[in-house]
Amino acid sequence: MISNDEIKHLGWLSRLELTDEEIVRYALQIEEVIKYLNKLDSISLSEVEPVRLKKKISELRKDDVKPFEGDVLEVAKNRKNGYVKGPRMV
Amino acid sequence: MVNLCSLTAEQVVEGVKNNHFSAVEYISQILERIEKIESQINAFTIVDANGALKKALSIDKKIRDGEDEKKIGSLAGVAVGIKDNICTKGLKTTCASKILEDYVSPYDATVVKKLKESGAIIVGKLNLDEFAMGSTTEFSRYGATHNPWNINYVAGGSSGGSAASVAALECTVSIGSDTGGSVRCPASFCSVVGLKPTYGRVSRFGLISYANSLEQIGPMGKTVADTVMVMNSIAGMDDNDQTTLNNGAPKYTTQSKRNIRIGLVKELVEGIEPEVSKCIYSAMDVFSKSDCKCEETSMKSVEFALASYYTIAMAEASSNLARYDNIRYGFESNPDSYEWNAYFAKIRSNFGEEVKRRIITGTYVLSSEYYGKYYLKAQKVRTMLKQELSALYKIYDILIAPTMPVLPFKFGEKIDDPLKMYMIDIDTVVANLTGIPAISVPAGFSKGLPIGLQIMADELQEQTLFETASLFESTANVQRSPKL
Repeated sequence: MISNDEIKHLGWLSRLELTDEEIVRYALQIEEVIKYLNKLDSISLSEVEPVRLKKKISELRKDDVKPFEGDVLEVAKNRKNGYVKGPRMV
Repeated sequence: MVNLCSLTAEQVVEGVKNNHFSAVEYISQILERIEKIESQINAFTIVDANGALKKALSIDKKIRDGEDEKKIGSLAGVAVGIKDNICTKGLKTTCASKILEDYVSPYDATVVKKLKESGAIIVGKLNLDEFAMGSTTEFSRYGATHNPWNINYVAGGSSGGSAASVAALECTVSIGSDTGGSVRCPASFCSVVGLKPTYGRVSRFGLISYANSLEQIGPMGKTVADTVMVMNSIAGMDDNDQTTLNNGAPKYTTQSKRNIRIGLVKELVEGIEPEVSKCIYSAMDVFSKSDCKCEETSMKSVEFALASYYTIAMAEASSNLARYDNIRYGFESNPDSYEWNAYFAKIRSNFGEEVKRRIITGTYVLSSEYYGKYYLKAQKVRTMLKQELSALYKIYDILIAPTMPVLPFKFGEKIDDPLKMYMIDIDTVVANLTGIPAISVPAGFSKGLPIGLQIMADELQEQTLFETASLFESTANVQRSPKL
């Protein structure tokens, strides 16, 4: 059973402000989804290894710095004196 | 004058290169077509008419100047639409989300760069479910894409715009992305061909991540040959995507092969809509009559595929979408009066319904007390599926199944019941969980609505996939574009 408080907490962990109406709806819907995912619980997989990426670390390219042609700062809406501006930390 | 919009990519290249018509004439017809029917279909988020015409002019000039065939490119003049979650320099990439409504990509995705180098002309960006999360495009901020075969029905998703635009002749080929069936589902619903390549065959650099261990960019077209042409342009290793495979991509062809050993996965047909099932069994007959050895086969672990898929997709979505903080890019919203965390929570409440649902569920399955119960088990199911597949591919060259277990349905039919919506991905997720290539090819109609046949090959066996799809296409001869 997933409670409304649990959804509210998950929302906070995910940094999502939820309305009361959303909390109630998501609690019901996510409950249904999780019930379905519980299917995974019914199989024994102790012998099976989780899937892994094929490439070995040694095959990765060197991490060389290359110039980037585009202007990445241009897409930031709030800027000041060449800096990107965010909300206050404290 | 000939309707240039209905040509295949092969015919466009041939026509443009041999001066039967100019790239400008063809692109103008495409743009007129978009103008005429886009209000019914809603396949595009942005149409770049000026950019497309400018590129067409430059291609015509290259041909007039007698430039080298290679410089003109293998896709010279071909109108291509790009799913709006793939970066295109100087054009917006919105992911059909409020969160990225003003985001203009400062660079081209590798696939876009390669398509441009091949002479393809980008006509615009295509509609999708927000951040590619959905199976109908009903979750797009720009409204749903309508199915060209019946505009009261969904076009499928999440690459609904990519499929509908090709079926409605608004572009000749298109690019989609497939995380759990997002290329193949709309291809099936709109009666076009759609490919999800082997994981790592096509670079994902510049594709906005949703669930990166599952997704691949893939081509869509009216014919198998068109998807092959696009694959020959976009496949291959990329230094900017460390998951691309080192093996050089071969030049794919469309010769159709006979004597293919084919297995129909019975678990993927059981319990589906009877019209779809009937159509898939007749597809099997088509193969049998073409000297292929066909039989039903079983893949038991399919039962756990969907639970595994949604666990992984939502977990990865929850971590991938953590980056949207509206600071480096985003929409107009002054952060001045907010505390750090309150600002993020406020901003991120602008994600749509389905995206929020997936982020929260993903956060749930990743939380420490449930990690072993869901995520770890889901990753083990992938191994189990892979083991089962590798045994099956010792017996069969190809596995077949329906692409979708249902016919296209009406708007609103499943949107309020998330689990019901998720269940329709049952036949497509196996290829994403295991990394194998899979293609949807038009197989027939029921009540005027398209049905797709899904053909799946072993890892990196795209060539066998294309040969089988070509054989089916040339034998079954299914209609590709509706009258509009």
